[in-house]
Amino acid sequence: MALTMAEKLLSRHNLADREVRAGDFLEARIDGAMCHYHASEPMVEMAQQAGFKDGLPRVWDKDRVFVLLDHHQPTLTQKLADENALVRREVERLGIRCFHDSEPGIAHQMMLDYGLVRPGELVVGNDSHTIGYGAINAGSTGITRSDMFYVLLYGELWFQVPSSVRVVLNGHQPRYPIAKDIVLYLAGKYGEDFAQSMSVEFSGALVPQLSIDSRMCLSTHGVEIGAKFAMFPADAATDTFVKARTGASYEPLAPDAGADYENTIELNVDEMPFMLAKPHQFGNVAPVSDAAGTRIHQAQIGSCANGRFEDIEIAARVLDGKKVAKGVRFLISPASQQVYLQCLKAGLVETLVAAGAQVVTPGCGLCQPRVGFLSDGEVCITATTRNFKGRKGSPNAEIYLGGPLTVAAAALAGEIVDPREMCDGL
Amino acid sequence: MLGTLNKPISGRVWKFGDSIETDAINPYYRYPTMEELKQHTMEVYRPEFPRAVRAGDVMVAGKNFGCGSSRPGLVLREVGIAAIVAESVARLFLRNSIGRAIPIFVAPGVTEIIEDGETLDVDYRAGLVRNPKSGKQVGLRKYPPMIERIFECGGLPEFAYRRFLTEAATKGNDGQRAV
Ligand code: SF4
Repeated sequence: MALTMAEKLLSRHNLADREVRAGDFLEARIDGAMCHYHASEPMVEMAQQAGFKDGLPRVWDKDRVFVLLDHHQPTLTQKLADENALVRREVERLGIRCFHDSEPGIAHQMMLDYGLVRPGELVVGNDSHTIGYGAINAGSTGITRSDMFYVLLYGELWFQVPSSVRVVLNGHQPRYPIAKDIVLYLAGKYGEDFAQSMSVEFSGALVPQLSIDSRMCLSTHGVEIGAKFAMFPADAATDTFVKARTGASYEPLAPDAGADYENTIELNVDEMPFMLAKPHQFGNVAPVSDAAGTRIHQAQIGSCANGRFEDIEIAARVLDGKKVAKGVRFLISPASQQVYLQCLKAGLVETLVAAGAQVVTPGCGLCQPRVGFLSDGEVCITATTRNFKGRKGSPNAEIYLGGPLTVAAAALAGEIVDPREMCDGL
Repeated sequence: MLGTLNKPISGRVWKFGDSIETDAINPYYRYPTMEELKQHTMEVYRPEFPRAVRAGDVMVAGKNFGCGSSRPGLVLREVGIAAIVAESVARLFLRNSIGRAIPIFVAPGVTEIIEDGETLDVDYRAGLVRNPKSGKQVGLRKYPPMIERIFECGGLPEFAYRRFLTEAATKGNDGQRAV
């Protein structure tokens, strides 16, 4: 039987060792679990509520549980410091071997930076953007804390096999990143939940031209269009990326010819304008030109969607030798220490700081937010993940989402501008 | 106990639109304690909600309910919501609700048979939600037995605990699955 990537992934991991198809329920074997203990509801408490008096009694595999303290690093309050300390004690008690403790950065980026996830694996994480590892052909998806509790104990979890939508991307990669524009365009055209609970499987002539950074942006945003998985095929770029980070072997996933897709969506990026999401929903999409002239107070580049080298590099190219507009706070946060280092070595940080941008410690701070709150009536344009009302402080602030080029252009102009006007110079 | 699924529920409806995000349901970045959350849940859509919601009320929503970050809707149960019925539910919110045994039901068409403030009957066993005033009803999606069992145990951690005890008893060890 011809299978989609998701069907193949879950068939391979089915505890019952049977082939499964879209719609089937199964219990699956988990290859890796990315766990950032959340402050609001520590696992200890959940364990006790469930009946485990002394907390979680064990983890199923000490080498397959990855704990990262990304959301609360560096700690800005006493409470968070105490919670991190609790996590440290738990990690030690349970004997978890992979623990990124004193390193700021976004967990998802660090999972990839350090080769903790490989093509073909079924990896879960208790954060919605875990889906991003689909960029390197992993079947990864966000689960909930109670799901994680079960995974930590048993290394197993129930799933429903998703139906799949094929997204065929054609056209040419320009000299600047357009992954954000692609996903916004799709959300605008097909609705922000068009892939609800589905597996998004990318293909098309653009795919081999897309950098791993761009693929990560697209896969990460899978969750903003509702997806369970958002996978790219593995190619030479995937192998190069993965082999530079881990010696472990892996078995990539490819869809079978004739696999059953519920839907096929095609996009030729050559005809796509620059896109943004207007307040307050991801699917509230329009071409950037629609909002041109909107004065901004803050611009941001960062998060698990856009805190990567190419996102920061384009900002540096836009701002090189120029100045951020007066009255605009331009915050940039590399996704991880590794990305930060890459940017430093390439001289990007110097260019950006000279232009008046603020480079913020790697991590989730910019996105949650822990830094860069907005006040009533302020307008922010941001290459991060979400623009919900109140996401960056005041519920009376307006948040626009755009690609890094659109954000950098706005930071320079002090208002939203169609970056098409400056593309020739890039 | 199975109460959370099979017991018929009837309650006054709070009706919301499509794509209600978890930042609105559970804005814990700004209100980190449950007490604070209870005073602010859903206020970005209905400022009066935290004050006016009563125990036993039912929440009805459109498509994609609970989209956004993976955050549980425990606060809704805390303020008294007896059931959530939506056209469709975002994947993680659904998993969260199942994992914590919060009665949540997917009933395509529900927003067309009920208005805000009316009463809605939810009958999981019969597979129906119904507006007793107009008599209009639509079907709700049943869960597979695997998931009904999770509800039955009171949530996934509780289900895990039960499995742990069973395995410990049958294998006489710490519950590790025999290979
Ligand atoms: S960067 Fe933002 S969206 Fe991504 S994991 Fe961190 S808080 Fe979540």
